[in-house]
Amino acid sequence: MTTYRSIQTEPWTPRHQVHPQPVPARKVRRTGKTGRAVRTGRRAAAVLVLPYVALLLVGGLVPAGYAVVKSLQNESETGFGGISSYQRVVSDLRFAETFGNVALTLLIWLPLMLIGVVGLALLVDASPGRFGTTMRFIYYLPGALAGVANFMLWLFLLDPGQSPIAFLWHGFGYGTLNEVAQPGNLPYILAAMLFFQGAGTWVVVLSGGLHSIPDHVLEAARIDGAGAWDTAWRVKLPMIRPWLGYLTLLNLAYGFQLFLEPQVLSQVTHGLIAPQWTPNQLGFSYAYQILDTPMAAAMSVILLAITLGVGLLVVRRSGLFDDGR
Amino acid sequence: MLRRTGTTIALLALIGLTACKGPEGTGTADDATDSGGRITVWVDPPRLPAVNAFQQAHPEIPVDVMTINGNVGSTELQQKFVLFNQAGTGWPDAIFFPSNDDIAWAANSKINYVRDLTDDLADVIAQYAPSSISQCRIDGLFRCLRNDAAPDVLWYDKQLMAAWGYQPPTTWEDYEKLSLRIAAEHPGYVTGFLGDAYAPDRYLWASGCPTNDRLSERQVHINLGDPRCTRVRDLLDHLVAADVVSPAGIFSPDATALGKRLVMSPGAVWWGSFLFRDTWKVPPGRIAAAAPLRWTADPTPFTSSEGGGLWGFSRHIKGTQLQNTLTFARFVATDPRWQVDLSVGLPGVGPLQQPWLTRQRETGYLADFDAAAAAFVLASTIVRPERDYTRYNTGTVWTHTVTPALTSGRSFAHAWTVFGERLVGEARSFGYTVHNSA
Repeated sequence: MTTYRSIQTEPWTPRHQVHPQPVPARKVRRTGKTGRAVRTGRRAAAVLVLPYVALLLVGGLVPAGYAVVKSLQNESETGFGGISSYQRVVSDLRFAETFGNVALTLLIWLPLMLIGVVGLALLVDASPGRFGTTMRFIYYLPGALAGVANFMLWLFLLDPGQSPIAFLWHGFGYGTLNEVAQPGNLPYILAAMLFFQGAGTWVVVLSGGLHSIPDHVLEAARIDGAGAWDTAWRVKLPMIRPWLGYLTLLNLAYGFQLFLEPQVLSQVTHGLIAPQWTPNQLGFSYAYQILDTPMAAAMSVILLAITLGVGLLVVRRSGLFDDGR
Repeated sequence: MLRRTGTTIALLALIGLTACKGPEGTGTADDATDSGGRITVWVDPPRLPAVNAFQQAHPEIPVDVMTINGNVGSTELQQKFVLFNQAGTGWPDAIFFPSNDDIAWAANSKINYVRDLTDDLADVIAQYAPSSISQCRIDGLFRCLRNDAAPDVLWYDKQLMAAWGYQPPTTWEDYEKLSLRIAAEHPGYVTGFLGDAYAPDRYLWASGCPTNDRLSERQVHINLGDPRCTRVRDLLDHLVAADVVSPAGIFSPDATALGKRLVMSPGAVWWGSFLFRDTWKVPPGRIAAAAPLRWTADPTPFTSSEGGGLWGFSRHIKGTQLQNTLTFARFVATDPRWQVDLSVGLPGVGPLQQPWLTRQRETGYLADFDAAAAAFVLASTIVRPERDYTRYNTGTVWTHTVTPALTSGRSFAHAWTVFGERLVGEARSFGYTVHNSA
């Protein structure tokens, strides 16, 4: 406890030092106080932000607005339908189920991801020199197999007939792919898939965060008698909290948008997995099978509302966008 | 305030854009075009020889071929047609549907792609046994042609049956009794597969269980409490409990080892060469086919069918392009250069069935070919007509409810309940009003 307090009394509070995005405009204001500099700074900021705003409009706000408008149409898309499409979506027996599936997957995957990635990143950070960088590279390797390639690899891993970890499946009493990939196991399988696909990248990101902790802070901790464990738990971890928030935020968003993995797994197992296992698949089915575009739009809006809500919560709790000032 | 006005304007504009199209008929579409002769044909890989044979027979008709994904249950084809409808262009002139259920969306008033063939191809349609073409008859109009008939017969291992002193069953009741006897006397052998999307066709359709009884585009009759359903439920419940039917599907890699230990099973005509010979590698001279099983209580015998491809033709063409497309339609449905010489399935049209069977006899695979041939021809005429292809896919519902339940060791009764709930739910989500009266 004493260690922690002594860190708090340092003139540099952690957030000052480790914030990932220094704001250029503010720097200008601090150094040069003339109105011209402020104007230049604002113009520079506008130039920097403009491409993002354009993309946000094209790829985010316009489609979202279109979805909202579309979701308020009636079933035949001939006029205003109020919230009828939302009612149709919510009364679909698969609606709650798909969210349940995603929630279960997230419940397994996110803690695994947070604990696994933080643990590995701290280990890499605590292993100086070549060993640490080598390990970081090795952790990154599975992530290099992105998307479909990663999925193909997993198909071999999951099939007890071909898998190098077949002993594990036999241990569970499974002898065939259909027994391994049965719907009840899917959240665990997806969690493992997503962990190995994403963990390496996040170890690299968190290592970046850990690197940016100033040496003198760590030195101060050491002088105050903090061991490796205390340094990690009481100093490093609180200082990379925004990074952890960022990790949670992006992975939550990915989890809610799950589509490819259950979709392909459903085809590979000849339909053992329901073709509408996640909300996104259900929305896809509304658009291209049920041919009810307002329903598909309503599903998208619901997903957007949920991910935005959860996202805001994460941002607030982790202080992701705090300036620390 | 300004934002609200903007939203209102956007909304009104959208409503205006979408409101201008009313429902169209089933004949040539208003936007139909004529290429002057060139036709575009979409087929899955096994149907490519049909197009090649057509090009040889009709070198005067230029053909563009596109090979499509033949995976049954894939949704990407429907997605393409939704986009074609939005773009107002891009449809193929003729298509072989990889999955028979595709005809339900292709004929649905929202996509409304397949043309009514009732008058243009009346002579072709007349060559089908009524039960072979009835799934193409939608609201009284013929919207597709059958490529091959795939009626279910009873397949059995003649050598095993003879060695064990059994007679192949002729009724479902006997099938159950013999299965239970095999379970007791020869454990490890199986008499059916339940894990594939065709399983509800083999068992439920054959019994007349109303899972896909389409009343109209928005009305369907589903009643799993019907006695024609409960008798199959009880049968399968007993067989599952005795562990004599496999929860694997016929296409599953796990079925390969089991296929050699299949003593008997209802199955489609194409099981002979596709499953027994090519997939499960059962040696020649062992497998035989008998007439379809019948329910003792039924006054007339009926069977079901598993797949058997369907051809559809575009509403969006006219003139020479349409004439050439109809020439193609005639060819793929009735020309022996495709149906007899190259096609792997029993021809849908009656007159070509005997020539096709004569060719099949030469391969010498089946144990008693004449009996099998008679069973095939009989079966193709007694497929239950009141079972339609609907926009919800009963086979897919089956594979993600019954199959996982059985794989994880749950009882068939439990699987059946989940299947029934899900089937009705999916039908409703496709906008059908479900009638469950007896």
